[in-house]
Amino acid sequence: MAELKEEGYLRCLPDGNLLQTKIHNIGARLVGVDKFGNKYYEKLEGVQYGRHRWVEYAEKSRYNASQVPAEWHGWLHFITDHTGDELLLLKPKRYGLDHKQNFSGEGDAFIYHSKGHALNPGQRDWTRYQPWQPTKA
Amino acid sequence: MSFTLRSVKVPPNSVNLEEARHRVFDFFRSACRSLPTVMEIYNLHDVATISQLRSAIATQFRKNSSVTNPKVIDMLLFKGMEELNNVVEHAKQRHHIIGQYVVGRQGLVQDLDTKDQGISNFLKNFYNSNYF
Amino acid sequence: MGLGLLASKAMRPASRIFNSQNPRNFLFRTIVSKPELQKPETSAAQAQPDPPPVDLPPRTPVAGARVHFPNPDDAIEVFVDGYPVKIPKGMTVLQACEVAGVDIPRFCYHSRLSIAGNCRMCLVEVEKSPKPVASCAMPALPGMKIKTDTPVAKKAREGVMEFLLMNHPLDCPICDQGGECDLQDQSMAFGSDRGRFTEMKRSVVDKNLGPLVKTVMTRCIQCTRCVRFATEVAGVQDLGMLGRGSGEEIGTYVEKLMTSELSGNVIDICPVGALTSKPFAFKARNWELKGTESIDVTDAVGSNIRIDSRGPEVMRIVPRLNEDINEEWISDKTRFCYDGLKRQRLNDPMIRGADGRFKVVSWRDALAVVAEVAHQVKPEEIVGVAGKLSDAESMMALKDFLNRMGSNNIWCEGTGMNPNADLRSGYLMNTSIAGLEKADVFLLVGTQPRVEAAMVNARIRKTVRANQAKVGYIGPETDLNYDHQHLGTGPQTLLEIAERRHPFYSTLANAKHPVIIVGAGLFEREDKDTIFSTVETIAENAKVVRPDWNGLNVLLLNAAQAAALDLGLVPESGNSIESAKFVYLMGADDVNLDKIPGDAFVVYQGHHGDRSVYRANVIFPAAAFSEKEGIYENTEGYAQQTFPAVPTVGDARDDWKIIRALSEVAGIKLPYDSLGAIRARIRTVAPNLVHLDEREPATFTASLKPASSQKITLTPFENVVENFYMTDSITRASKIMAQCSALLTKK
Repeated sequence: MAELKEEGYLRCLPDGNLLQTKIHNIGARLVGVDKFGNKYYEKLEGVQYGRHRWVEYAEKSRYNASQVPAEWHGWLHFITDHTGDELLLLKPKRYGLDHKQNFSGEGDAFIYHSKGHALNPGQRDWTRYQPWQPTKA
Repeated sequence: MSFTLRSVKVPPNSVNLEEARHRVFDFFRSACRSLPTVMEIYNLHDVATISQLRSAIATQFRKNSSVTNPKVIDMLLFKGMEELNNVVEHAKQRHHIIGQYVVGRQGLVQDLDTKDQGISNFLKNFYNSNYF
Repeated sequence: MGLGLLASKAMRPASRIFNSQNPRNFLFRTIVSKPELQKPETSAAQAQPDPPPVDLPPRTPVAGARVHFPNPDDAIEVFVDGYPVKIPKGMTVLQACEVAGVDIPRFCYHSRLSIAGNCRMCLVEVEKSPKPVASCAMPALPGMKIKTDTPVAKKAREGVMEFLLMNHPLDCPICDQGGECDLQDQSMAFGSDRGRFTEMKRSVVDKNLGPLVKTVMTRCIQCTRCVRFATEVAGVQDLGMLGRGSGEEIGTYVEKLMTSELSGNVIDICPVGALTSKPFAFKARNWELKGTESIDVTDAVGSNIRIDSRGPEVMRIVPRLNEDINEEWISDKTRFCYDGLKRQRLNDPMIRGADGRFKVVSWRDALAVVAEVAHQVKPEEIVGVAGKLSDAESMMALKDFLNRMGSNNIWCEGTGMNPNADLRSGYLMNTSIAGLEKADVFLLVGTQPRVEAAMVNARIRKTVRANQAKVGYIGPETDLNYDHQHLGTGPQTLLEIAERRHPFYSTLANAKHPVIIVGAGLFEREDKDTIFSTVETIAENAKVVRPDWNGLNVLLLNAAQAAALDLGLVPESGNSIESAKFVYLMGADDVNLDKIPGDAFVVYQGHHGDRSVYRANVIFPAAAFSEKEGIYENTEGYAQQTFPAVPTVGDARDDWKIIRALSEVAGIKLPYDSLGAIRARIRTVAPNLVHLDEREPATFTASLKPASSQKITLTPFENVVENFYMTDSITRASKIMAQCSALLTKK
């Protein structure tokens, strides 16, 4: 994991949160990196309990909590002690979806459309009844 | 609909038929120019084309082709501008547009057929819908 | 179960504790360590010194529970939470609490099933009893002091709930029972707010019970309601309990499907999501649905149903309580026919062109064409047939219309060409469905209630179980799911009984409340009058009809039949259809189309493209029973009405409105414009039809009828309903019903 490039030091100048995280990272143990590049740290000594696990987001300029995939969420929020890499093995292969962050407000918000709605591509042709077709004439 | 009243300015009365006629054509052009926006905001691409909507507008104009009184034309113009403004301002919903201009063109035209004279209200309602 | 009531009951003792004794509990809220709970007996005695009964406000019984005293001397008095109630001897503690207005939580107890007493949720405290007692299985004794909201009872429920939830999966978000789940509700009201369970939950393999019932057996809490329902009410020994301890599970003993026509009811009685509806799975949530209280029309029983719809779609059909008709069960056909309402619908008026193809036209044109043709034919060549799903209003309008055209050739399909419509007792179930419970001997003549009217069959089965009633059956070999004597297959046996030669005659004659049920399938036979007079001879000899007991019944087949005969839909001549030139089929799909002459002009008015549309010249789309308001009379003469749950499809109209409009176009305007007006017209013809939700028994008995001189033929009775699942246009369009008849009907 040491070969992972540490970056974003320049962004620390305008972004205090990032600076804080970087300072926090000193002496902490890198527990894992998810496939988006978010880094998960843990430090047990010398930090307040409850602040001993944190994430440094891969994206340095626009980061938000929804970028943490489900498998790491539990570890990060002290729900479980299993790391995301371990939990990833439990993810069902056949129907497990890829994690997608929340794009609301950025043009790709998830909006529920009922069946038959003009913007619901899957069920665009839904009709509430099936008419009888006069085939045998 | 305050924004409607704000943006539809009452034009001065047309002095003669010629001026009224001129205004009608101006209005028709502005309506046609707004059509791409209308297609976009009401998401009409899969149910209508611009030329269909244009002919729907033209039908509305031709329906009143016999009117020659400039005052009446001004009044119709004002109503048309109001309607256009409502459409462009997204004051309507998709099904309004589809119902009025895409599928039910005849629904707008009040059916004043001579066949219907002398029939009861029940039958008139019956021809319209099941719920009365 | 009123959740608010439960919640308030659960909250009450807690608030007393907070206020009076230990206000610091507010600050340190631990789960279980309250002093009261540690030493429940003493604190209960302190907290509840029996208050004088005068102080207590009068309580209303739960869900309108009524107390019926069979013998006034047997009344005993018990105290529920200090409130005295009088109940008859033999009632359980749980029933006593219900009378006192206290709702006891329960899972396994069901008032229509036998008592199992295995869920332990109904534990209450009884004074001088060392342990909490299961109230559903404990008979109430005189002077018993029952306490339902003491810390002991509360703790007991909490403990039971914790055990039940131990192996119950936490999948409420994906469970179809979510929102109407007893376990969910009661764990909110009585359960602890956290569990102490850390081990793995057990899991159970799902069972395949057929195309109607979906099972998720891990959710099962072993209340055995479904097992008891199947053995007691449905009468099939399909379900059972396998294994013991934590290996206990519900299942079919061998891999097989549940072949009962009442199997859908296990969905309703299952208190958790273990048995849910397969067609409804993942389709909707129950809080999204709008319920419309309506009537079932797929058979002549007129079961009370609730049509649950979401927007314009019928999502499911569930039963409604009516003690007189269907109790709280409905048949599978009723419950699952709803997907037929979405398929094969007629949505536009159509006219068959010269090339033989249908063309969509406007109502104006369609009505004009029909009116013109109707005037071109002779009045006696006009024929009208009402279908099996027609409501009374449309049949009234059709009859009035045809009469004004000068024809009286109108009938309802299934009643035969020469129905006996003069005396209501001749075509109604005179004993009434609920009255069947008193009977001790049944004679079924040419009827198979199991497929013709499943709810009536359930009633007979209930009687057979409760009274050990004997059942004699004449007709083709069948399985009625209760013990019966197969006496014979045809009129031969009937004659033997009438001549007192048959051994069953003495059984019938010695019975206190004998019941004879004649199937409406016999209406179609040539020798129907003779058969009916033979049956009347039997009834007279065996004293089946007495002033205090009328045991002579006719079991009708279709929802429209009783109302049609009440309205006098009787054809003038028997073979009018062979010479007809203008045939008006109002939803009549089982009419013999070959009999209609080739040059006849056929109008089909209906909601489904089923059978008759292929012969029609003009199609009028009409509303189905879920879309209109209409009066239906069931086989016992109980008038009820449907209510529209969803809008009509396409350009369809209500049946009576179509005929009213057609009459005006034809120039013979019918004098009613509204539903109220047409009901006023019905009132003049058959006033009992507008007395809704009321059973109007027949006044005269059939003894006034002249004897028939027809020759009896000895051809055996036939199966009237070939396929229970597909009997009318709605069920024939339904995919679920097609699946059922492929998998479940016996070959």
